[in-house]
Amino acid sequence: MIKIAVYGKGGIGKSTTVSNVAVALAEKGLKVMQIGCDPKADSTMQLRHGEAVPTVLELVNQRKNDFELEDMVRIGFGGVVCVEAGGPTPGMGCAGRGIITALEKLKEKGAYEVYQPDVVLYDVLGDVVCGGFTMPMRKGYADKVFIVTSGENMSIHAAANIAMAIDNFKNRGYASLGGLILNRRNVKREDEKVAELADDFKTSVVGTLSRSEQVLLAEEKQQILLEAFPDSEMADEYRKLAEQILAVCEARG
Amino acid sequence: MRQAYRIIPIYTADVSGVCSALYELGGMTVMHDPSGCNSTYNTHDEIRWYEEDSLIFISGLTEIDAIMGNDEKFIHDIEEAARDLKPRFIALASSPIPYMNGTDFPAIAEVTEQDTGIPTFAVPTNGMHDYVRGAGMALEAIAEHFVLPKSHAEDVSNKNTEEKGRNRLVNLLGVTPLDFGPLDHAETMKRSLEQYGWQINSMWAMGDSLDQLSKSADAAVNVVVSSVGLRAAKVLQRKFGTPYVVGAPVGRFTEKLSEAMEAAVSGEREDNVVYTACRMSAKNLQDANDTKESPRHRAEITLIGEPVTMGSLAAAIELQYSRSVRVLCPLEETDGLMTPGDEAVCGEEMMEEKLKDAGIIAADPLYRPICPKDAQFFELPHIAFSGRIYLKKIKQMPGFADLI
Repeated sequence: MIKIAVYGKGGIGKSTTVSNVAVALAEKGLKVMQIGCDPKADSTMQLRHGEAVPTVLELVNQRKNDFELEDMVRIGFGGVVCVEAGGPTPGMGCAGRGIITALEKLKEKGAYEVYQPDVVLYDVLGDVVCGGFTMPMRKGYADKVFIVTSGENMSIHAAANIAMAIDNFKNRGYASLGGLILNRRNVKREDEKVAELADDFKTSVVGTLSRSEQVLLAEEKQQILLEAFPDSEMADEYRKLAEQILAVCEARG
Repeated sequence: MRQAYRIIPIYTADVSGVCSALYELGGMTVMHDPSGCNSTYNTHDEIRWYEEDSLIFISGLTEIDAIMGNDEKFIHDIEEAARDLKPRFIALASSPIPYMNGTDFPAIAEVTEQDTGIPTFAVPTNGMHDYVRGAGMALEAIAEHFVLPKSHAEDVSNKNTEEKGRNRLVNLLGVTPLDFGPLDHAETMKRSLEQYGWQINSMWAMGDSLDQLSKSADAAVNVVVSSVGLRAAKVLQRKFGTPYVVGAPVGRFTEKLSEAMEAAVSGEREDNVVYTACRMSAKNLQDANDTKESPRHRAEITLIGEPVTMGSLAAAIELQYSRSVRVLCPLEETDGLMTPGDEAVCGEEMMEEKLKDAGIIAADPLYRPICPKDAQFFELPHIAFSGRIYLKKIKQMPGFADLI
């Protein structure tokens, strides 16, 4: 089982990227599970055509332990197994702690044994603001972390912080950095800046995604790009990225 | 008010269970908490505290440590103490604050072990469960990390133990003062089984060293004498194929337990909760068992406490006096450990309701105020419930196996 966590600045396009990569992997015949680790619970929304899914924490909150694995899982486009951790109402509770509880509950309910995914993708909220958000990279969860970034300074800064956190935890048996994913915003010196960041953390840019209006059009239709425009050039970019991510995970074990 | 406790206390927490289970094994138990309330697991609940040394390390977690996630300071302090004191192992237990923070104890254990070379493991407590869970997980970790394979245990080759002799070797799992009181009380169980020809390899974990426990794979069968021992029994079964039976030797039930142990050794027994099998087959209570509604609802005697010890005592009473008994269990871990008609009870209000019609009750003295006034009450002090309040009284009482 290949387990991957994807981090990056809020709004940088993580969920869109992860959902398209998930379907690209599913097209190759792999069983893919995508787990949204964000209180907003919108990671898998486009895979489900906007359909609501009960989040793990909602279920725990309402029913304690009196629910089944199937209650918190939905099958999305391309057969991707969709889960949303969920979290407290903004301004209340503790979202980080929520991620821990949700991922533990998922494990406890046997999600990985029952669905037996070949690939698990953890789509994690923007910044690693507290311990809870490191959960997807802890031992027993993801093996590799990929960071989505553009060439914008704030995005690079957030990516550097995440890479630093991964480096800090290297003696703890956590996931290692798999590489950066450049999601273009078409700013000046974009490729160069992201390549510099990769150099700083002794990693590489594993894939590059163009800025595309089609991604937004697909979003309007509550679909991912691979569903709305499967034959587009952009779709091939996602497919290529999925190949590269897979290659990194397989090569580095 | 369903789960509020107005009159009776609650059972001691998982953190006390960890400290108690590991107390005599030469390790250092690390409590990651703000200190201030550690007299609970060190003195109120720990009857060995003034007579026997044990390494309990309190981290003294501060508000700013919690906010800033100062794991490095925590690791540094543990390592400094470990270098001075050279414990056999380090056990890291969590409390409510690091639990809420999501402190990654398994990762901290890994770092500490790498740095010090001392075996280190995490016991995932949070202060919100009862002692059975904490003590159970601590013994489970010992079973997982320290028990040697049969061929490595020195005594086997050195003393040329005959196969026959080895077939009589047993471990008693789940023995802590929280359930059994002082060592001489717990040892009544050893003597009781020895009368049936069994040799006791170790008691987990009282009166025996970590080295002795590490030879546990030599045993032919494990006896889970309290629910605290169940997790360790499962590990020993998985790792070494050692069968286990559940039940504590007491009175006439000891004979039944011994028979079940024999059956387990010869690979015949499937139903390993011995007191349940014994109580369900007791001829004199057949009518009670056959009743469709609550089989032991009208039981003459009510026992309150830990499911394995009280289930075994119930079996002994039913065998000896032919009087029906029901067990009310106020602890969390009861799955598979209750006999039909016994009940898991949650909260003081529910307990009071269940005791309404009870005629004869045997329980910790602190239950008395919620028992009916006209009920006959027998005191069975339980340290996990009332701490050391009744320790003097306990010392004057017979040990568990000799209770009836």
